[in-house]
Amino acid sequence: MTATTLPVTPARRPPPWRDARVLRVAAQVAVVAVIVGVLGYLYDNLITNLRIRGISTDFDFLDRPATIEIAYSDFRASQPVREAIRVGIKNTLLVAAVGIPLTTVLGTVVGLARLSTNLLVRSAAGLYVETLRNLPPLLVIVFVNSAVFLELPRIGDPIDVGGFLVLSNRELAAASPVAGDQLAAYALVVAVALVVSIVVWRRRTRASEVTGAPHHRVIWAGLPLLLGVVGGYLLLDAPVTLSHPAAVGRGISGGVAMSIGYGAVVTGLVLYTSSHVAEIVRGSVQAIDRGQTEAAEAIGLSSAQRLRFVVLPQAFRIAVPPMINQFLNLTKNSSLAIAVGYAELAAITLVLISQANPAPQMVLLLMTIYLVISIVISIVANVVNRHLQLVER
Amino acid sequence: MARPIRARHLIVAVLAFGLLGAACSDDDDDPAASDEGTDQTDQAAGDDGGDEPSGDGLLAEVRDRGTLQCGVNDAVPGFGVVDDNGDFTGFDIDFCKVIAAAVLGDAEAVEYVPLVAEQRFTSLAAGEIDVLVRNTTRTASRDGTEGAAFAATTFYDGQGMMVTAESGITGLDDMDGATVCVLSGTTTEQNLATVFNARSLSFEPLSFDEVDQIREAILQGQCDGWTSDRSQLAGLRSAWPDSEGGPDGLVIFDDIISKEPLGPAVRDGDDEWFDAVNWAVMSTIIAEELGITSENVTEQLESEDPAVSGFLGQPTGEDEAVIDPGLGLEPDFAVTVITEVGNYAEIFDRNVGPDTPLGLERGLNALWNADPPGLLYAPPYR
Repeated sequence: MTATTLPVTPARRPPPWRDARVLRVAAQVAVVAVIVGVLGYLYDNLITNLRIRGISTDFDFLDRPATIEIAYSDFRASQPVREAIRVGIKNTLLVAAVGIPLTTVLGTVVGLARLSTNLLVRSAAGLYVETLRNLPPLLVIVFVNSAVFLELPRIGDPIDVGGFLVLSNRELAAASPVAGDQLAAYALVVAVALVVSIVVWRRRTRASEVTGAPHHRVIWAGLPLLLGVVGGYLLLDAPVTLSHPAAVGRGISGGVAMSIGYGAVVTGLVLYTSSHVAEIVRGSVQAIDRGQTEAAEAIGLSSAQRLRFVVLPQAFRIAVPPMINQFLNLTKNSSLAIAVGYAELAAITLVLISQANPAPQMVLLLMTIYLVISIVISIVANVVNRHLQLVER
Repeated sequence: MARPIRARHLIVAVLAFGLLGAACSDDDDDPAASDEGTDQTDQAAGDDGGDEPSGDGLLAEVRDRGTLQCGVNDAVPGFGVVDDNGDFTGFDIDFCKVIAAAVLGDAEAVEYVPLVAEQRFTSLAAGEIDVLVRNTTRTASRDGTEGAAFAATTFYDGQGMMVTAESGITGLDDMDGATVCVLSGTTTEQNLATVFNARSLSFEPLSFDEVDQIREAILQGQCDGWTSDRSQLAGLRSAWPDSEGGPDGLVIFDDIISKEPLGPAVRDGDDEWFDAVNWAVMSTIIAEELGITSENVTEQLESEDPAVSGFLGQPTGEDEAVIDPGLGLEPDFAVTVITEVGNYAEIFDRNVGPDTPLGLERGLNALWNADPPGLLYAPPYR
């Protein structure tokens, strides 16, 4: 018996104007075409208008002399514009490099303080956060500048702390190490001492894990390091000396000095951003399941150990992505520095624009540089984040 | 698996395209910007020698709008400052009024746009303002790269240095290693570098973008000196608080660091507008040369002197002809200017003259035939 087979019509695709897949792709292509068209039109419009006004449309201005000087740098007015921009980048990075670590530390401390059982500590931290979070960063910077830094004594009669610290309302300076002749030999001695102390540390730790006896590894490893640092310094003829700052005429010579503009920007931004970081840290600690803290208590960990071994590692996992955001905000908020006379990238760019350099190209350059700095910061922070993450099975 | 297209997806797509289309169209509310932005009309061919301004230049646009947008300063006493009643007052403000009186017939038909030094030329190039009257120095790069065109110089100034009396600094050569405050984005910033490098003096330039920040820095002693145009320094000195010693607490050195001819600026490319602004400004100088003031202008209308009546747009000579040089202005624009604002001497004396807190003498700003002679010399109105 043969089975009857019905004729089967092969599945036919609907015509293109009704075919959902075709329409979907066509719609996306159309949107992309419109966007490209709009951008192309805007670009063409910009170039045409610039040409009509006689404003240049290329990047040749980068080689022109800048004609302005920049405070507290070695920049000369005859150097090209690209060097001025480089000084600006360096000044912005200085703010970010010092500001980000300080913000993290201060923000974490205040955030944890806000979770304290001590009423005074908790209220103080709460007051700090609520005040600074609700003020515009520009106001914080200007306030710190006028109320703190400008009120320091004038350069003629600055505060001099034993020759190690000189504070005036123009520059702040601290003593800094200066390399002597024997620096290379001294570095070698210290390096050797460091290696020895690491080896000792690991051996003592491993021995302690095997035998269970206390390792006293800090004392055992610290001794060779101390020997190397101090002994090397005494045996070699002053490989590293201290340069003491002193007020000379209208400035400070010696030591490492920073302008109060820089101090005001960093202080203001650290205070402002750390209030946000404090809230992030507090939120991430509170997000940890209560069961974790209870379990840690149950196995006999003290509250400090609980914090260090159980709560914080989990909390940082949650906290790092929003903290990256705050780091980027700090870097970008450094552009407020012109209000206190600190010559960072945005300030220098604005000045150069008004000294007959074409605005579209300069602003494009400014945006690109900020983009690159921000991307680098996020990449680094993401690597740290991945390193901190708990490996879940 | 392909899903059928739903009606709402289509509606969303249409709305999205509609929004995109709306965003692309020109914004009609901003005539200045849209005019300069997308319509590439040739504005240089504006002047056709007749009374009627050609339809597409800035002159016609300002007349249509009915107000003049004037870029000004709001922080320099004597030149451009906001007084206690909230009104703009000053030497440059009066010249805004002069241009408005000449072009629109009403000195008060001005919209004052306060600008910081860095924004000046970008605002002008973008069309946010029609004319920039903001103690701006004429330089080659501003004529060239910045795309500005400077009308007649209204104030011949020079750059100077000001220090506090208690600092004990005696002159420029005494300022080695000094911290000098300067406004960012100005020619003074460039000249500071040139002058100090020429004298082999080291210095730290602190640039701020607002005068108030510099005042604070000087009060606190963060800066040793303040450099700017001498007229600006005089204005700021006149307003120095009495608790710091009043005007005598500041000293302006006699050294003139550079030439700073200040004058109104317009955008390149519109000759008709440039001529109108230029001659409006120069009419105040011509009025002073001919001895016409706001007090005697009504009598001068009947004057027999052909130079005076011709300048005032009155019928002159045997054939009772009215001079119309084809600037696009009314023949008697000078009458409106002088009646409503005054001649150059009145403007100068009212704002920065010897009887004002600034107390400036005419000096270089006197007429070419005054005694002692100055640099003001207007071309003949013919």
